[in-house]
Amino acid sequence: MVDLDLDACLERLYKKQLLAECVLREICERTKELLMRESNVVHIRAPVTVVGDIHGQYYDLIEIFRIGGYCPDTNYLFLGDYVDRGLYSIETISLLTVLKLRYPERVQLVRGNHESRAVTQTYGFYTECMRKYGSQQVWQYFTDMFDFLTLSVVIDNSIFCVHGGLSPTIHVLDQIRIIDRFREIPHEGAMADLVWSDPDPDKEEFSISARGAGYTFGKLVVDRFLHLNNMDHILRAHQLCNAGYQVLFDDKLSTVWSAPNYCYRCGNLASILEVGVNGERFFNVFDAAPENDRNPQQAQLKENDPIDYFL
Amino acid sequence: MEVDTIRSNNDNDNNNNMSITDMEVDNPEDLNGYYVASLIDELKHDDVQYRLNSVNKLPIIAEALGQDRTRDELIPFLHNDLIGDEDEVLLALAEQLPKLIDSVGGASNATCLLPPLESLAAVEESAVRDKAVWALCEIAKILSPEQLMENFILMMKRLSSCEWFTSRTSVAGLYAVIYKKCGPIQTELQNSFAQLIQDESPMVRRAAAKALSDFTEQMTPTEVLDISLPLFQKVATDDQDSVRLLAVEDMITIAKMITQEQKIEHLLPTFNTLASDSSWRVKYMIANKFVELAEAFGETIVRKQFISAYINLIKDSEAEVRTAAAGQISGKSKKEMKERKERKGLAHYIDKEAVIESLLPCVQELVNDNNEYTRAALAKEVSGLASIFGKEATPEHLLPIFLQLLRDDSPDVRLNVISKLDELNDVVGVESLSQSLLPAIMELSEENQWRIRLQIIEYMPVIARQLGENIFDAKLTELCMSWLQDKVYAIREAATVNLKNLAHVFGNSWTKKTAIPQILSMVHDENYIHRMTTLFALTEIAKVLSPDDIKEVIVPTVVSLSNDSIPNIRFNVAKSLEELIPLLQQGEQKSQEDEIIKNTMEPVLEKLSQDTDKDVRFFAQKALERDQMNKSQQQQTTTTTENPSSPEAKL
Repeated sequence: MVDLDLDACLERLYKKQLLAECVLREICERTKELLMRESNVVHIRAPVTVVGDIHGQYYDLIEIFRIGGYCPDTNYLFLGDYVDRGLYSIETISLLTVLKLRYPERVQLVRGNHESRAVTQTYGFYTECMRKYGSQQVWQYFTDMFDFLTLSVVIDNSIFCVHGGLSPTIHVLDQIRIIDRFREIPHEGAMADLVWSDPDPDKEEFSISARGAGYTFGKLVVDRFLHLNNMDHILRAHQLCNAGYQVLFDDKLSTVWSAPNYCYRCGNLASILEVGVNGERFFNVFDAAPENDRNPQQAQLKENDPIDYFL
Repeated sequence: MEVDTIRSNNDNDNNNNMSITDMEVDNPEDLNGYYVASLIDELKHDDVQYRLNSVNKLPIIAEALGQDRTRDELIPFLHNDLIGDEDEVLLALAEQLPKLIDSVGGASNATCLLPPLESLAAVEESAVRDKAVWALCEIAKILSPEQLMENFILMMKRLSSCEWFTSRTSVAGLYAVIYKKCGPIQTELQNSFAQLIQDESPMVRRAAAKALSDFTEQMTPTEVLDISLPLFQKVATDDQDSVRLLAVEDMITIAKMITQEQKIEHLLPTFNTLASDSSWRVKYMIANKFVELAEAFGETIVRKQFISAYINLIKDSEAEVRTAAAGQISGKSKKEMKERKERKGLAHYIDKEAVIESLLPCVQELVNDNNEYTRAALAKEVSGLASIFGKEATPEHLLPIFLQLLRDDSPDVRLNVISKLDELNDVVGVESLSQSLLPAIMELSEENQWRIRLQIIEYMPVIARQLGENIFDAKLTELCMSWLQDKVYAIREAATVNLKNLAHVFGNSWTKKTAIPQILSMVHDENYIHRMTTLFALTEIAKVLSPDDIKEVIVPTVVSLSNDSIPNIRFNVAKSLEELIPLLQQGEQKSQEDEIIKNTMEPVLEKLSQDTDKDVRFFAQKALERDQMNKSQQQQTTTTTENPSSPEAKL
């Protein structure tokens, strides 16, 4: 049993240093124990800052802390999609996991569709683990832990937060509560829908989704769901927004997107949503962190000789 | 078997990520035979990290093996087995080999270190080659002339006659260090170096051009004229611009070693040619090193010959050239120079009238340059000109330029002007600027990009010192307060630090009259972020207040927030109290301070340590523990003065 000094781990992670494999194993074990006790619908209170997809963009995660305040001073709710596509999925998910472990009351992590074995083998997280650790152990530790992440959060009994969207099989929250979530995300069913669905402003009801998983849903669905569950708003992520966020259905549903300049080329803005104690919602918009521009090669052997510039 | 035990003591075998520095122990165990055996073993390990660690510990291995075995076994092993290895390992090897000079038996045996370095000097990766060249130079420094003329020269000949260019680029760097010691063969060295300058591969010619400076410095003045100068001319007229641009550095070196007349006769024509070269990269080098060139050539030549070249660079069609030239105008101000004696700018080399007549028009052109980097470079330099122009000339000539730059489109330009405000204020009063300065500051403070707002905040104390309390209060205090409510956390944090710095500048009465009331007004704000910021601001500003003021003004408010409904506020109260208690204890009225600590602050911490929220309890308990520790330390110091053997040590 390794003795964990979480504050020391955080210090390393804030400097973008990797943790040892055995340390990560212990961290993931303890996080599973913590997450296991959470319901599929976690209730929290405002004030809280809600964060959308991050996708391994570590420098932009640090930018989020610079904008929204550091944990634990600020409470955070992360809506999933922590890994894949970006260059630093491991650093990102490590930092978030240790923060959850250190400050469980201040951090909530929700599962996204990328927190899955199948998806991470296609979109980069698995490859990054092999490259940075030389084996697939770390990937296994994290994907095993992903099975334990909750599926949804409710803020002040009023705002329903999920990664993707709604499901035709879910009408009331109790139906979410009885799902067995401790498994790989299935291809279909309620659990799949919650992490894969998208709103469609041009529709009223559920429809087939172009993603091949989950559904699209329209205004009637949203109104019905909110009414049945006595809530006011749905908050989700999952879809790229050029302006960093998007509000639909007469302010009944918002998308928050937190990966600026997505994949280092989309040129989009990002945002975090600050929810106040009286239900106020403020989208704090920001741009990509300048550290992303720095050439990763500069850290290596070559010195940046001005003469080389001319070659 | 013992080797295995040691390794598995250091955690998993498969743990590639374990910190190898765990093995760096500065104790007698280093020479433990088993430890060294494992190091030797790991030179052949599959994992590059282990090999790297062993290479970095070569001195330890060599010392354990003894001189004979190091020479006969270790060095050949390194040469044969590691040469195909990864660049990281090769680089480390090149770094360590010079450290083995003593381990192989001193200078007389050091030539055995040459073969592996000769191989390293030929590899593809230039960083490894450069390190190998450095290592060879280090060894050459301690070799005797006989050794140099026998072994070292032979090695150089082999490197020079290699077909692949890499060895030939490396050998160029070896001439300078051996030249003086090799009197008898100097002509031979001159000739073979000349070959490198004319080599068919541009890579080799570049390496030689770079090495020419150091080589020249080893020559006598006659040799400089006879040998180095023609080589320099060849470099300066090479058909590759990447070679020609290296001539600039060589020119500086040569200029420092010859007389004025010789400079005018031999160097000036080449200078003029290079300054108007067809390739912008060459002109860039001239522009970038203009002040160094001026220093090397001397004031007379500069005044007569350099100005027109400089003006052309300022007007060049390529922005990079203009930017480099702009950065050379004034160098550092006189004040900075007095303090740190750094290089002068071009303007220091020519007299004031010439500056006004020739440089000023250039500056005025640059202000209107299309390229914002050029203008930004200029903005940094213009204030340095103020100290040269002096009090009379500055308002007339420079002020309009300043004002225009303050209104520039690009925020970087404006920021660069503001960053040099104190230099300007030494010469002209800032009041004359304040008309334009204040709008510029306001605009920058509203910039969308928060990092620009951050920079303005960081200049606030400088601006405050120049403007003085009255002007500042009238216009800028409100701005500083508004930053406390900025939507970006980093700005709010900088704003609290800024208030503390302003308190430093303006003193206690301003703080109590102006700053603190405005901070306190936020304490009951509905938005918890503002209440949190109040807490941070009060704690920060307490660092510059007297214990009395802290007691009166800060503590009550902090304590009142301990009943806040938001746990985040409550645990920050605990953190704040943890910082405030020691500040109070520094005061002189011990009884009064102790009273408030005991009757107000500590009870609050006790209450918070029983809070329903886990984090509040954690930080409250941490504060209480630290408080206890401080108290018992104080007790110890007082009882030790009475009774040296104090029984209690509550640490």
